[in-house]
Parts: sequence; C-alpha cells; structure tokens
Amino acid sequence: MATKFGLAGGIPERRVRPIWDAIDSRQYKNALKLSTSLLSKYPNSPYALALKALILERMGKPDEALSICLNAKDLLYKNDSLLMDDLTLSTLQIVFQRLDRLDLATSCYEYACGKFPNNLELMMGLFNCYVREYSFVKQQQTAIRMYKLVGEERFLLWAICSIQLQVFCGNGGEKLLVLAEGLIKKHIGSHSLHEPEALIVYLSILEQQAKYGDALEVLSGKLGSLLMIDIDKLRIQGRLLARSGDYTSAADIYQQILEISPDDWECFLHYLGCLLEDDSSWNHEADSDSIHRPKHVDFKVSHLTDDKFESCMSNALAFVQRLLVDTTDDPVRGPYLAALEIKRRKHVYGTGSDDELVEALLKYYLKFGHLACFSSDIESFVQQLTPDKKTEFMDKIVKSCDSVTATGTKVLGQSITIFKLRELIGNLLNLPVVELENLAAEMVEMFCKNLPLSKDLDPQENMHGEELLCLASSLLVQLFWRTGNFGYFVEAIMVLEFGLTIRRYVWQYKILLVHLYSHLGVLSLAYEWYKSLDVKNILTETVSHHILPQMLVSPLWEDLRSLLKDYLRFMDDHFRESADLTFLAYRHRNYSKVIEFVQFKERLQRSDQYLVAKVETSILQLKQKADSIEEEERVLEDLKCGGHFVELSNEIGSKSLSFNEDLSLRPWWTPTSEKNYLLGPFEGIAYCPKEDLAKEREERVRRMIEKKSLLPRLIYLSIQSASALNKDNIEMNGSSSDPNISKELKYLLERYAKMLGSTFSDAVDVLMRVSTDQKSSQAFGSDTVDWLHFAVFLNAWNLSSHELSLPDGNNSGHSIIHVVDTLLIKHVSEKIKISDPLKFTGGQDFSTLVLLVTEPLAWHSIILQSCVRSSFPSGKKKKKGGATEHHSSQLLNALRDSTHSLHDVVEEVTKWLRKHINTPEESHVEMLVSSIRRNGGEHAGGPGAVFQVLENVVPSLDASEVGGRISRSLKSWSAVDIARKVAKGNSAVLSQFLQICMSKVKSLQALKQQIAQF
Amino acid sequence: MVCIRKATIDDLLAMQACNLLCLPENYQMKYYFYHILSWPQLLYVAEDYNGRIVGYVLAKMEEETNECHGHITSLAVLRTHRKLGLATKLMSAAQTAMEQVFGAEYVSLHVRKSNRAAFHLYTETLGYKIHDIEAKYYADGEDAYDMRKQLKGKQYHHHHHHHHAGGCCAPEPKSLEAKPESKSEAKSSTKA
Repeated sequence: MATKFGLAGGIPERRVRPIWDAIDSRQYKNALKLSTSLLSKYPNSPYALALKALILERMGKPDEALSICLNAKDLLYKNDSLLMDDLTLSTLQIVFQRLDRLDLATSCYEYACGKFPNNLELMMGLFNCYVREYSFVKQQQTAIRMYKLVGEERFLLWAICSIQLQVFCGNGGEKLLVLAEGLIKKHIGSHSLHEPEALIVYLSILEQQAKYGDALEVLSGKLGSLLMIDIDKLRIQGRLLARSGDYTSAADIYQQILEISPDDWECFLHYLGCLLEDDSSWNHEADSDSIHRPKHVDFKVSHLTDDKFESCMSNALAFVQRLLVDTTDDPVRGPYLAALEIKRRKHVYGTGSDDELVEALLKYYLKFGHLACFSSDIESFVQQLTPDKKTEFMDKIVKSCDSVTATGTKVLGQSITIFKLRELIGNLLNLPVVELENLAAEMVEMFCKNLPLSKDLDPQENMHGEELLCLASSLLVQLFWRTGNFGYFVEAIMVLEFGLTIRRYVWQYKILLVHLYSHLGVLSLAYEWYKSLDVKNILTETVSHHILPQMLVSPLWEDLRSLLKDYLRFMDDHFRESADLTFLAYRHRNYSKVIEFVQFKERLQRSDQYLVAKVETSILQLKQKADSIEEEERVLEDLKCGGHFVELSNEIGSKSLSFNEDLSLRPWWTPTSEKNYLLGPFEGIAYCPKEDLAKEREERVRRMIEKKSLLPRLIYLSIQSASALNKDNIEMNGSSSDPNISKELKYLLERYAKMLGSTFSDAVDVLMRVSTDQKSSQAFGSDTVDWLHFAVFLNAWNLSSHELSLPDGNNSGHSIIHVVDTLLIKHVSEKIKISDPLKFTGGQDFSTLVLLVTEPLAWHSIILQSCVRSSFPSGKKKKKGGATEHHSSQLLNALRDSTHSLHDVVEEVTKWLRKHINTPEESHVEMLVSSIRRNGGEHAGGPGAVFQVLENVVPSLDASEVGGRISRSLKSWSAVDIARKVAKGNSAVLSQFLQICMSKVKSLQALKQQIAQF
Repeated sequence: MVCIRKATIDDLLAMQACNLLCLPENYQMKYYFYHILSWPQLLYVAEDYNGRIVGYVLAKMEEETNECHGHITSLAVLRTHRKLGLATKLMSAAQTAMEQVFGAEYVSLHVRKSNRAAFHLYTETLGYKIHDIEAKYYADGEDAYDMRKQLKGKQYHHHHHHHHAGGCCAPEPKSLEAKPESKSEAKSSTKA
C-alpha cells in the first residue's frame, strides 16, 4: 500500500529501507542514528517517529518508546492534512503491542477509519486490532462494514466467524446463530458460495442449531460440490444423518466409508452406534480436555429387543467378515478389532461367550501378535474374560507361539507380547519371588541376545526389543515393593542405565529413570536425565509433570528456577503472540480453525500447571531472598504484596481448570504426581488402576493452589504486623495500632485453619498440645509443613494483637514464639533422625526437612528480623521508664531466645549434612554395588539375578555379531560407574541444601549479634 | 485400527509428544500453528482405536514459486505402530488433499541421507524420486535428499474469489505471522 500512497508514510522508501535493514540485523545503535537523521528532515512525520519508537523499544527503553509513540499518535490526530497510511499505523501498532498497549493501537486505527471511512486497507487493520484484543462484537461490526463496502464473501465469513466466537468463546446467546444463518442465506441468494470453508461454516451453523435436515439438503445440493474430498463429505453426511436420528441411512453411509477405508476405527464405532441406535458416540466429543481421549469405553447397553440386537450384530459381523476377506494381504488391524468389538458388545449384552472372544483374540494374535501395539490393543477385550479364561488364553498363545516359524524380529516381538500379556493379565503376583527374579533375568538376557538384530541400525533408530528392559525394570520395582529389599530397586536403575549406555536416545528409559532417581531422593540425576529429554515448547506443558513436583520440594533452587522460567516464558509468549496467528487463519479463510485456535488459547490459560507455576515462582523468590528482610520486601513489592494471589486463592474453587499433562508415560507405581504406591505397603496389585485418579487429582491441585497462593500475602502481613508492634504509637496494654493488618491476617489465618480441616481455635489448641507433648505430632498428618506455617503466621499476628494467651496465663503476646520454636526444633530433629541419605530411603523425609528449613523456619526468621528492625533499630538505645520498658525487655528476651533456637536448629542440620557429605564416596558405592551382588552364588536368591546376566552375557557378545557401535558401548558399561554417579548425585543434592543452611546460619548469627547490642 | 483424520488444534499437544518419541527434531509451536492455520486441509493424524495419537503428517503449500506444489514438512509414526502402513496412509491423505484441494502439480520433501527406512518408504512405496541433494541441510550438518513426486495435477476446482486471482499458492499481499518476528510485518509492507 506504500505505492498506493506514493511514499512510505510520506517518506521516500530509499530513506527508510536502511533503517529497517539495520533493525532486522539487530544493529539498533546504527538504526537509531539513521532514524535521528531521518527525523531531522521529517521532524513531524508520525512514521519517522514510529520507527524511532520501534528501535527504542528493541533497545529496551519502553518508556521512551511509549512517549514517542504517543507523540506520533497526537500528530496523527492533530494534523488533518496528514495521510493515514496503514504502514504508519501498523508500525505504531507493533510498538504498542510490544508495550502491551493494544488499546492505543486500536484507537489509532479507529480514528483513521473514522476519517477515511471507505478505506478497506485501514478497516482490515482495524479488524486485526480487534482480533488481537479478542473483541468479537467489534470484529463482527467491522467485518460487516467491509462486506457492505465491497460485497466479498470472505468479509461476510469474517463476520460470521466473529458471531460464532461470541457464541462459543464469549457471552453471546445462541440466538446470534439465527442472525448468522440469515446473513449467509441472503448472500447465497445473490452470490452463491465459492469457498469450501464457507460451506463448512454454513453447515456448522445449521448443525449448531440442530437443523440437520437443512444441512443435509445443502450438502446434497449444488454447494456440496465445493467439498473436493469425497470421504470428507461422506463423514459429514453420516454425522448429520445420525444426529437427525436417521440411523439406517447413516449406517449405510458409514458402511460406504469403511469399504473405502476399512481401518477407520472412529467410523466403525459410528457404524455400530447407528446399528444399535446408540447416540453416545456423538455426545462425548465435546469434552476432549485430556490429551488422549478414550474412544472405546463409552457405549450404552442396547435398548433394542434381543432379536433386533442379535440380527444387528450378525449383520455387522457379516460386513466385517467381508472386509476381512478384502484386506487379508494388508497389515490392516481394523476388521479384526471390529470383530473383537462386536464380540465384546455381545459379551456385555449377555449373549456372547468367553470362548468366542478367546477365539477372536487368538486370530488377532496370529496376525498381529508380534507388533508392539498388540497388548494395548487387546487390553479392553481381555478384561472381559474370567480369570480362568484369561489363563486359558495365555496358554493357547504360548502354545501357538512355539509352532510359528518366523524371522528373528517376529519371534522377538511375540515373546515381548507374551511378557506384556502376563503383566496385563496380572498372574505374575501369584508367582514366587524367585520366579519373578528369573523372569526379569530372562527378559534382560533376551534383550542382550537379540542385540545382533540391531547391528546395522542407526543410533537414532529404536532397537529391537527395547521394551524388554522397561518390562524388566518394572518387574524389579514390583519385587522391591513386595519384599522391601533395596537391591531390587538398584537393579531396576541399573537395567535402564545399561540400556542408555547402548543407545542414549531411549525416551522411555529416561522417563523411568527420572522417577526412580526422584524416589531415591537423588534429584540431581533425575533432573539430568530430564534435561536430556530436551523438553521444549508445548511439551513443557504436557511433560514437565515428570520432574516439576519433585523439584518444588528440593534444594535445587537454580534448576527449579530455570524450569519454571522456561515454562512460564513459553506460555506467556504464546498468550501474547497467539492473537497475531489468529489473523493468519482469517487470511487463509480457515474459519473453523479460528474458533479452535481461540478455544485452544483459553484451554492453555486455564491450565492448572500454569497457575501452579506462577504461585511457585513467587514462593521460590521469597525462599531465595528469605535471609534478608530488605530483599524479601523487594520481592514482595514486585509481587504487589501478594494481593493477586489472594484473589486467585479466592477464585480457584469455582475456576474451570484444564489438565494438559500427558500422564500416559508415567510408570505404573506413580500414575500421577500425587500418588506413589511405593510409599505405602505392598498391596498386591501390580496393575494399579488409573481410573478415578483424575477427579481426585483435580481436587488436590485446587486445594494446593488455594493454600499456597495465600503464602505471599501471609508473609507480607506478618512482616507488617511484626514491625508495627513496638513503634511510638504503642499503647500501654501493648497492642499496636494497625487494625487492618491485624484483621486481615486473622482472616487469612482462619481460612488457613479451615484448609487444614480445623477451626481457628481448634487449630491453636492442636499447636499448643503438640508443642507441649500432650499430643503427638501425628495430629498434623501429612501436612506438617502447613501446620508449621500456621504456627509461624499465628505468632506474627499475636505479637501485635496479643489476643492469645497460654494456659499459664502468660498473655504477653510472646508466648506463641516459644510454641513456634518448640515445634520447629521438634520436627526438624525428628526428620534428621529418620532420614538417612546414605541409605537412599529418605527421599520423602528429606524433602520435608528441606521444606521445614526453607519455608516455615525461613518465614519465622524474617518475622524475627522485622521485629528487631522496628523495635530495636540499631543505634537507638533502650528507652527508660515504666511499662513500655518492661514490655520491651520481655519482647527482647523472647526474640533473643527464638533467634538462638533457630540458629541452633539450622546448625544441627548443617552438622548432619556435613557428616553425610564427608562420608567417603567409596562406602556409598560399595553399599550400592553390594546390594545387587549375590555373594552366595547363583542360587542364593534375592536381588542380583539380573545383574548377573549383565555381568555374564555382556562380555560374551562379540563385535562381529553386534556391530562396532554397540560393541563399543557395551565395553564402556560399568555398574560401579553408575553407583559412583548415584553417590555423587546424592552428595550434590546434600551440598545444595548445605549451602542454603549455611547462609541461614550466617544470617541468624548476624541477627543474634544485633540483638546482643541491647 | 486407526482413524486417519484431519488434525485439530487440540491435537497439537499429542502430536508434539509423538514427535518427542520419534524424532530428534522438535519444531517450535508457532511453526505448527503456521501450518494448521494456513493449510488445515493438509494436516492429518493417525488416531489409534484407544484414542491415542500415534502418528501425524504436517504439510504445507509452497508459497514462493510459481509452480503450485506441496511440501511435506514432517512425518512421524510411533514405533509401537510401525509396520501397519500408517505412514503410507498419512502421506496419501496429505498428497490427495494437495492435489484435490489445491491442485498441486508435485510434492516435495527432505529426508536425511542416513535415514534408510524413510528413504525406502518414499522411493519404493510412495514413488518419490531424488531431485537434488541439499548439503548440510540439517542442524547437525547432515545432507538431505530433496525428493519429489509428480501428482496427477488434477483440475483445480477450488473456486477462488475474483478478488483473489493468484491461484492456490499465490503469496498474500502481506506476509506476516509466518515469520518468527512480527517486525517483518511492517517491513514486508514496504516491499509490497
């Protein structure tokens, strides 16, 4: 459009181009120089100003950029003779957008469009502004104006699409769809439709109003020819027919589709649904909030009569048999699984037999048993069988396997399938321990012996039999759970590390190791493997759950910080930039994608993990700065004193959250980050149920966010409360004078108590009793850290309000300090006693210890600092005289005692950490290695069977058999090296914690000295 | 049993996970969006019978040249679902759409020289021919084969609007979001 106006923003292009080139090559200084000289020639050109603003923004000077932009805007508005070209406006728009001032960009375009009402270019710019702001109504109005101006179909569809957005993503009522339908109909009357997407939009509007018959009519009419791909048309037709209730015709259509594409499962389900007049497959499509939507579970038990049901089923079976004959030569699973599904339905209905199902499963096995997808394919069918029939099926499969003469990879595939089926059917648990050990050893041996099959593979390619090591590792974890023998756990790690020595790209191994190391408490190694997965972009949303929850309770603050930062940056960038992308869909006339895209953005905005990450980022900052009250206050200032988070906490209960984590790759023993079966007693189910966890999880996440988002505000109020207590305004009765702070703090404490399942006064009572040993600390349940939070903030509140008194009648307000001190000493020492990082069994206790020191203890020390700072400012001597002095010396004593006590507790932790860090590495290594070495020879039992296979088989593999690459990696394998790595990793985690503690000791030392001056 | 269907935007979550399991490459999300918002007709996923996405093809129409042609950007099938002909089905679906929706004359793609399995699929099963070799095409320095397959060049039925006479892949007057930074937006306007 520059040419349209003759000049680029009224300036010859040759003068502007070098500036753009400089910006593009990031030579901002040079660009600025050029732009200054341009401005000297065109001092009042909005375009020249906009360019300068753009450069300044890029140079990180947002304030200057904004003021120049505003200047340019004023010039645009003031000078009537100036041209309003899109180039100037779009340059301004870019700067405004980067400054987060979309509103200013929009108002520029609005002004321009008002001045040149018939300029299509400017109107498109304005439409784009509204798209960026998600102003659906204004989008619609602008598009209609464009449509009226030039009568183009696309502008009409922009308007229609904006209407649909109001209905689906805004608060527009469904009545708007009638308006949309009317607009399209009118246009068709005069111009017909020319775009396939226009037809799709029209059909969707009819369908959304349940006008299925009208939609079918349109589809079969002249407009239907806009859809170029026949099968697409058939799918729409089938859906419309089924939704209109014409199941017979719909079934015919689906039959046609299946003849063209016999592997189409969704279509088959629809086909079956139509035969059985069951509409459930249409209804669950709306709720697709999980990453993988389950497809086969939902169906209604048929309401048809027995005869009708039987005849439907036999018709379906006959059709499927025909498909089977047609596809015998293809690797098409469809008809086989379809036959199985028909038998399953009959089974559920009560007219099928186990034998029929077993027979069909066997048929399927003979054709596809060697494939990696086999066992997950048949899972839902096998679950229909009685335990006896399951075993019978297993036996039949094992027998049929023997009779097959096939290639190496196929035999291997079938053997793996059999291992997987044994796990699936669940009869492994009845086996004696020694047989399970042998089974695991057999798997690993099979993996090793089949390495020659992978001789010529590229390192990037998956090797044959990779699953075997996952299976073996899983079995070893089961043995660990069952026997409590740590050696099995070490073996489970070794097997996977061995696999990664051979090929370092195996995702599954890495994820399993992330979890195994996390359970062990060696988080540094877990994080290392996680990093090697190179998780980026949207995967940070779906995959972070493997590591993030553990990191949140670890002392690896820097790693956690970068994890959170990368994730939030990705999400925030997406939210900022996604609106720009929306316009891409408008331009390419892909209207249905506009709606999907806006909905997708909303889905990400509702992400539970996004909220968690935001809250946790602020808590991490507070933890990192907790040794200095000044720095802590700066963090709080940046967090706007925690007010936003309180709002979040208030809203979370009613907020609709989306859970986008892909949990499918987690190991069986920790199906969600909240569950870890290994922490509980052996329950005898290796196949732990994954269902029902989703709801439970959602509740937990909500509660967690609700609780945690109060922390920043509680800390802020506590600092305020503690600093207000001994100012000049102190009253004789000792109560200080900021009632609002005190009131709000009390209110939040009441809420906090409620979240702990208690009332405020009961909670106080529990604290008192636990601190005086009248009650065991079991009263805190698994919420020790939260209870201590409550105690710490309660003290801060009471320091100034003096409302609570101890049973002994001491109501000086300082008594709760003592309670806090006692509780902290008690729980920290307790954790030190039971968690022994040398034995690697302290993952859980260790993280609680870390939390105790870095959260409640840290907040308490901040509160002490606040008291000391305001009550005894350095340089000021004590005032003499009366009650105030008495009060102040009492307070001083309380603060002194508490500081000493905190100092001693952290010292104790430091000593404990030093002791473990200074233990010679070799003793860790020896402990690990000896746990998997069978000293009593081969038949000794216990862990070590798998390890023995590695020790025996690996050296026997020859380079000529397995190829140079694999042979080299095998030579580099050393279990001792892995053990050393684990020991080092463990010590790294302890050292990080030691550093944190040392810094705390230092800060408490300083506080002690400060108090000693008085 | 799978369903080869057009990708929705929600599928991107699972598609990326798929990518992680199969390929060392991992595209920026913006790049996926660029594809799906511009040519949604060319993106297909293989959804397995239990609802899992087990493969996908990502393709686009080439905007730069006069000859209207498609380009396969990425193809992935989970290891657990190999040897079922899914890659072929995904490719055929994308190629058909290129042909029938956009009237593409040919389709191109790049493949690592070392990737024998893929090369075999493209040449033997799908009928691609080596057109050229691109030296150091991949980030790790490996060369790529530039491969092409002639399409039937079916008559282009797509009734484009009078306003938009440039054919299927004519560059739009203003190329914006496809580029990594929005600065290109105003810049390219100066060239327009």
